[in-house]
Amino acid sequence: MTTRLIKGFHVSQASVGLRLIHWLLGIVIHIPALLYFQFKKRKQPATATLLDQQMIQQLSTDYDQRIDYFNRDPNENEKQAFISKEYALLKKTEQQYRLNYPQFFEQLLQSRRFLLLTLVPGFFLYLFYLIYHHGLIRFIFERLVATVFVIFSVIVIVFTLLYFSPQDPAQNILGDQATAAQRENFEALFGLDQPYLVQLTDRLHGFITFDLGTTYQGNEDVLLNIENRFPVTLTLAFLSLVLAIAIAVPIGIISAVKVQSFWDYSFMFLALIGLSIPSFWQGLIFILTFAIELDWLPSTYIPGQFASLIMPVIVLGTGLSATIARMTRSEILEVMHEDYIVTAKAKGLSNRRIFTKHALPNAWIPILTVIGLQFGAMLGGASVTEKVFNIQGLGSYIVDKQFIPDIPAILAGVVYIAVMISVVNLLVDLLYALLNPRLRAELND
Amino acid sequence: MTTQQIKQHDRYKHGQFALVLSLVFTIFFLYQAFIHLTTVYTLLALAFLIESIIQSVLLHRLVKEGITPVAHSKLTRALTLLQVFSLFSGNVFTASFGFRLRQEKETISYTFMTYIFIADVFLVALTALNIFKPYVTNSFLVILISLVVLTVTDGLLIHYLKPDLMETKQLTARMRLLIIFLVITALTGNVIRLLLSYQLYIHYIQTDVSKREQSSQFWQKITRSFTAMLGLLFIVIIFSLSWMSTFTFVESFAVENNYQTLLLEPSLTHPFGTDNFGRDVYSRVVRGGVISLSIGVLTTLIPMLIGGVLGAISGYFHPLVDQTVMRILDALYAIPGILLAIAIIAAFGSNTTNLVIALSIGAIPMFARTMRANVLMIKNLEYIEASRAIGESEWKILFKHIVPNALAPMIVRATLAIGTAVIATSSLSFLGLGVEPHVPEWGNVLRVGSTYLETEPYLAIFPGLSIILLVLSFNFLGDGVRDALDPKMH
Repeated sequence: MTTRLIKGFHVSQASVGLRLIHWLLGIVIHIPALLYFQFKKRKQPATATLLDQQMIQQLSTDYDQRIDYFNRDPNENEKQAFISKEYALLKKTEQQYRLNYPQFFEQLLQSRRFLLLTLVPGFFLYLFYLIYHHGLIRFIFERLVATVFVIFSVIVIVFTLLYFSPQDPAQNILGDQATAAQRENFEALFGLDQPYLVQLTDRLHGFITFDLGTTYQGNEDVLLNIENRFPVTLTLAFLSLVLAIAIAVPIGIISAVKVQSFWDYSFMFLALIGLSIPSFWQGLIFILTFAIELDWLPSTYIPGQFASLIMPVIVLGTGLSATIARMTRSEILEVMHEDYIVTAKAKGLSNRRIFTKHALPNAWIPILTVIGLQFGAMLGGASVTEKVFNIQGLGSYIVDKQFIPDIPAILAGVVYIAVMISVVNLLVDLLYALLNPRLRAELND
Repeated sequence: MTTQQIKQHDRYKHGQFALVLSLVFTIFFLYQAFIHLTTVYTLLALAFLIESIIQSVLLHRLVKEGITPVAHSKLTRALTLLQVFSLFSGNVFTASFGFRLRQEKETISYTFMTYIFIADVFLVALTALNIFKPYVTNSFLVILISLVVLTVTDGLLIHYLKPDLMETKQLTARMRLLIIFLVITALTGNVIRLLLSYQLYIHYIQTDVSKREQSSQFWQKITRSFTAMLGLLFIVIIFSLSWMSTFTFVESFAVENNYQTLLLEPSLTHPFGTDNFGRDVYSRVVRGGVISLSIGVLTTLIPMLIGGVLGAISGYFHPLVDQTVMRILDALYAIPGILLAIAIIAAFGSNTTNLVIALSIGAIPMFARTMRANVLMIKNLEYIEASRAIGESEWKILFKHIVPNALAPMIVRATLAIGTAVIATSSLSFLGLGVEPHVPEWGNVLRVGSTYLETEPYLAIFPGLSIILLVLSFNFLGDGVRDALDPKMH
């Protein structure tokens, strides 16, 4: 336990930012410890006088030896100057090597009694050390902090955009005939007459306490709206992701294994087309073909009916599959040109074994990253797909509310999607750290 | 050359690609002919079928006789020539293959010239469709005739350029004339003409050998990749057709309501039909091409510049600057581009300027990250240390030595991003959030079409196909540029 704490303490001394946090978190402990340290330091010099005498003796013999060596006449003044100069120099280095506060604090940390005594005021400091003593835990922790920071920044950015909007929600909802009093009443009701910072802190506070306010139009509870619409979008996104991975990864692998063959070219051509189709157009063509002409599937989404989700899932998954397939192929090809694959070939391994044992484990890590990054783009595209298939999801919610603009609703919608994306990216990064041996080793150092 | 080598050769692959696409179109036209029973589709199907057969015979003979025309028998040469003429049935794939097969050594100038010619032919044909309209613009006939003359001139130039233009080292008066001719005729919107004149300029006037080599190596790779060239070709056709439409297409057909021609089926007069206001969808699509293209290009260039500068600064200077800039961009990155654009448009109203700004802001983080990664890599190289040692200023090192060398991945990103930007633009227009509704931007055209999906599906199909063609072209070109610039591929 104490060794872990001390390791964490060492890590925290490495950079300016961390040192600052270490001071701030442990201020309650540091102040008495510093006082005690100063007190102890003042007591020290008394024992050092004897050592000083020895040192001067040593320097004087040094000087004599030098004079002897160079065959010069001894000079008392020069001797004194030499001794005082060297003595000052030695003192200075000694000062540096002398016990300083960090070392002193480290000694304190080693004693169990001290820890027990300061456990309550120093709880956060010790937690901080424990987090930072291990590379992986530190990585996870920092990643979590970054995610929270990103989400807060998203709230600030989107709110600022909407705040400085020249559009007037009061006029859009109440109409041109509204009197000035009605408008003022409306603005007071929703806090629109407050200054920027007050509104912003209100919003931030609202997000922390899950009180997202009500929409300007219809006075609906935004949180309830989001709760109702979130599951559809999440299902849609998740199913599309699964479909995309299930289709694209095998295609990418086949294309990479049979590179420059007919299959490779055909698949990559198809992937390029998939990348080039606007999803709303694909949706329209699907509706035209499978709903209107063939009458196989319902043309719009009906809650609870799985068949009506098939077309949206395919449409949303197309772009993602195209990207993943292209990425998978190029990553595997890149790995196949590495030296260790040549070595494996030279050892006489079969192609299958090279592929499953050496190529795939190295190629899938970047593929995972791409999947994580593309997930965000897909969620953005979800708003268009949801509009085409008339799905009451989060994306179409934002689009519907933007005409007023209904600030609480848009803000909440965008932030929840950003949260979803950040969480997925966080998970991808954590998986990456857990499963990539190279990164793991780097973190542990 | 062994059979294996021939089959791995670029030309053979080009031939295969042409054959497959030609067959796909044959089947498509056959299907259409079968359903609609029109002569146009039947003729097209027949032409494509014949061309596909010739193509497969040609490929077969290619394996036997080798890929250079010197070794070819008379029959093979005749078939190659026949494939060149397949251009007039609209089969670009076999035609470009025929052109390619006719030259001994592949040169940049010849390839460019053939594609200029193909673009000319398409421009003339697509413009000439206006003949079937009730009336045409005043300048239509003059421009059409001059375009035909230009096409014939270009056809002759192909023959003239067949021996490599760049064999001669001296800049002759003739060559100077050719460069001037190309630059002037580039006013038709044919960007390949500019590229060719730039090539000639580089070849004759640039004295720095390494720069010359670098440029010609890049273009050599691009011109050899037929998919990249096809992409470039389609972009040029769409652009120049749309660019010239001010003089050749009657504007009122595209933007003014005409209640005599509501919701007509596709015909020669109205190739893509007419919409619910009686506007000719073909004219609208042609007119809107420039709008969609320029929005796509702008929403790529603006974030490329801003993101590039931010990325370069944060990659080069103190970690504190780096952390500040990148953390702010991280927050932007967490919002999907389209959603951010919706939020910005919600706040500031939907018009073209706001759309461009909105889409640009969303793309900044991607470019900044790319630039930063490159700068981080390059700033540790020895030549940067050397320039620091001779005491150059930090900004000069950054923008004179680092950034030019970090541009390649940015260019690749940008080419691929234009396609995405075009899709995003039309998606937002489709949601009613982009360009003003009366402007014939492709997403707008499609939105009108989507409301008549059950009864008049062609209203949605044709504009959609145009978008796909444009985006696909940019993706093909982007892939080509990536392969040409990426050192890892070789």
